[in-house]
Amino acid sequence: MSERIMEHPILGITPEGKKVTFTFDGKELTGMEGEPIAMALKNAGVMVHRYTAKRHEPRGIYCAIGRCTDCVMIVDGKPNIRTCITPLAAGMEIQTQYGVEEKR
Amino acid sequence: MERYDVIVVGAGPAGLSAAIETAKCGMRTVVFDENAKPGGQLFKQIHKFFGSKENKARIRGYRIGEELLAEAERSGVKVVLNATVMGLYAQKEITVRIGDAIKHYKADNVLIATGAAESVVRFPGWTMPGVIGAGAAQTMMNLHHIRPGKRILMLGSGNVGLVVSYQLLQAGCEVVALVDAAPRIGGYGVHAAKVSRCGVPFYLSHTIVQAEGTDHVTGVVIGEVGPDWKVIKGTEQHFDVDTICLAVGLSPMSQLLKQAGCAMKDTKGGYVPECDAYGRTSMDGIYVAGDVSGIEEASSAMLGGSIAGITIACDSGYLADGSEQIAKYEKALGNLRKGMFAPENRGKKITQTEEGIAISETLLECGYVADSEIERYPGVTHMEGVHPVIECTQNIPCNPCQDVCPKKCITIGNNITALPVVDSKSQCIGCGMCVAACSGQAIFLIQEDIGDGMGTVTIPYEFLPLPEKGQIGIALGRDGQPVCKAEVLDIKSSNAFDHTNLLTMKVPRDMVMRARFFKS
Amino acid sequence: MICVNDIEKEIGVFVPMEDDDVLVCRCEEVTKGEIRRAVHAGMTTIEEMRRFLRCGMGLCQGQTCGKLVKGIVAAELKINPLELEPAVSRAPMRPVEMKVMGKDGGQGGDAV
Repeated sequence: MSERIMEHPILGITPEGKKVTFTFDGKELTGMEGEPIAMALKNAGVMVHRYTAKRHEPRGIYCAIGRCTDCVMIVDGKPNIRTCITPLAAGMEIQTQYGVEEKR
Repeated sequence: MERYDVIVVGAGPAGLSAAIETAKCGMRTVVFDENAKPGGQLFKQIHKFFGSKENKARIRGYRIGEELLAEAERSGVKVVLNATVMGLYAQKEITVRIGDAIKHYKADNVLIATGAAESVVRFPGWTMPGVIGAGAAQTMMNLHHIRPGKRILMLGSGNVGLVVSYQLLQAGCEVVALVDAAPRIGGYGVHAAKVSRCGVPFYLSHTIVQAEGTDHVTGVVIGEVGPDWKVIKGTEQHFDVDTICLAVGLSPMSQLLKQAGCAMKDTKGGYVPECDAYGRTSMDGIYVAGDVSGIEEASSAMLGGSIAGITIACDSGYLADGSEQIAKYEKALGNLRKGMFAPENRGKKITQTEEGIAISETLLECGYVADSEIERYPGVTHMEGVHPVIECTQNIPCNPCQDVCPKKCITIGNNITALPVVDSKSQCIGCGMCVAACSGQAIFLIQEDIGDGMGTVTIPYEFLPLPEKGQIGIALGRDGQPVCKAEVLDIKSSNAFDHTNLLTMKVPRDMVMRARFFKS
Repeated sequence: MICVNDIEKEIGVFVPMEDDDVLVCRCEEVTKGEIRRAVHAGMTTIEEMRRFLRCGMGLCQGQTCGKLVKGIVAAELKINPLELEPAVSRAPMRPVEMKVMGKDGGQGGDAV
């Protein structure tokens, strides 16, 4: 399953990026180096980035430009990272965030 | 502490345009932007802009962004990215977060061009993954080449909702409905028409009752709103969707100005600084330009930015007399603010064009001009041979069609908002330049009789895959409903058309005034 | 300005609404009902609301819900939202870690 647009009627052929692997909750996934983490996750079909602290409700991408902070996750052990504006790098460990921490 | 003559906050259309002017006058200018890429929202705008030659009409937004960046570089503007301005103080000092450091900069002049943020609406389930802003959809598909969803419902019929719906279709998504609580579409009729003819149904006077799903959106319920803005019981209907897109307006991001102590005013259009026509706020040396001073669009933001930039240069003594340049930009800005969608007409129901022609009710209420209404407009004519049919039915400031016709068949005149008129003695050669140049995709080439009871319709076509010559498909009407069988006679692509392909289809003679889209 | 002591007289008693459970502030998870109740408890300005419920005080700093909260408070007070005084605007405009903030010595500002 892929949501990647390979060729666009206006923007043309999408430039081929460098494929890298990373993990999402321990599972190995691939994405394009430098694209926002959230895009690589979206392409892999991941919708839920975190569960909220009070009501334990799922959240994902909302504004995609780093304003709403809904898409924050734990990246390489650091919580509250805005995945929509943080570039993906090879070997990153991405985890679903529960409140402000990882699942216990 | 590093000092500059001018600090600009925000590298969007307004900020860059201003910085170009001040740098050209020899002022040391720096632009800070919190994003990784400059250009503001311009690089997400893949549609052709309205306007006239002077303000980059019929050029796609992202190309304008590229031009603006190149000019900024040529002019010696320094753009610092990933630099978040955290505070603005009365002494014209700013604090900026760059990497893991907070830095301070001072300038004689600070221009705030921070733009706007998307407004939101709430309904049960609006926080669920799968509910996104229209800007998010644009960012995902036009910047990062990722489809925001497969089946999408759009809320909001303003220009953002209409344009993004069309872009979703271009990205290969299905838009199942376009919904707005208002009884009439908010954006340009031509933007609505191009979404409608692709088969997207409009639900005006409707709103979202709730988003459905447990972990992410799997459906949505909408319902009709009554006069009290509440959903009328029993009108609810369900759609299977994986994404709900919200395009319900923009709010100026004016917090820095308020923090600095500028006089502010709360308006229907948001919380904005008090400023004069040149971008001067109540505080000496602090200026504004673009959406942060009131929501308009990118073209006016660029002109407003240029005006503010020249004003800064004049106020600081770097330019002896900027009145001529300012007058030029003001004239262009004045033109852009004309017509039915001019700022002073916001919220008004306009029933007639400037020419005294009744506005299509169907367009306002359903998103397309009805077959019975289209003949009343001056761009819609019947004649022998190939000729343009211009379905431009509202007064908007735009005139590229008049400029591009090599045979001068199309007249708008000096009043840029006038409806285009097709010369009845038209010498149309069928080149299609007008079809490709029309930012509203409202021009079609029609040949009413090619023999055998058939005629041809040439439509602008911006989708993939391109149909092939000889392919048989279905012609859709303005309302997106099938009208007849159609055969593709030709597909023309050219650099001059800038990615708008011209698809010519053969349809029965009596269908040439109805067939407006081709579906494989 | 409504006098807090007269609030029930001015705006009536709290009447539950169907959508009281819908979230308004996404970051701090504050519902419409909580905001409406807070008005009846005497929070009649956005500033008080932010301190009382923390709506608009989360990671996004009210960027998303600001307008919604204003609309709800104004509706409860039966006034036009434009009559409500907007919240105070303070630096930092975006969330920043304390360890970064703490290093701000007031100087910095090397040439960029």
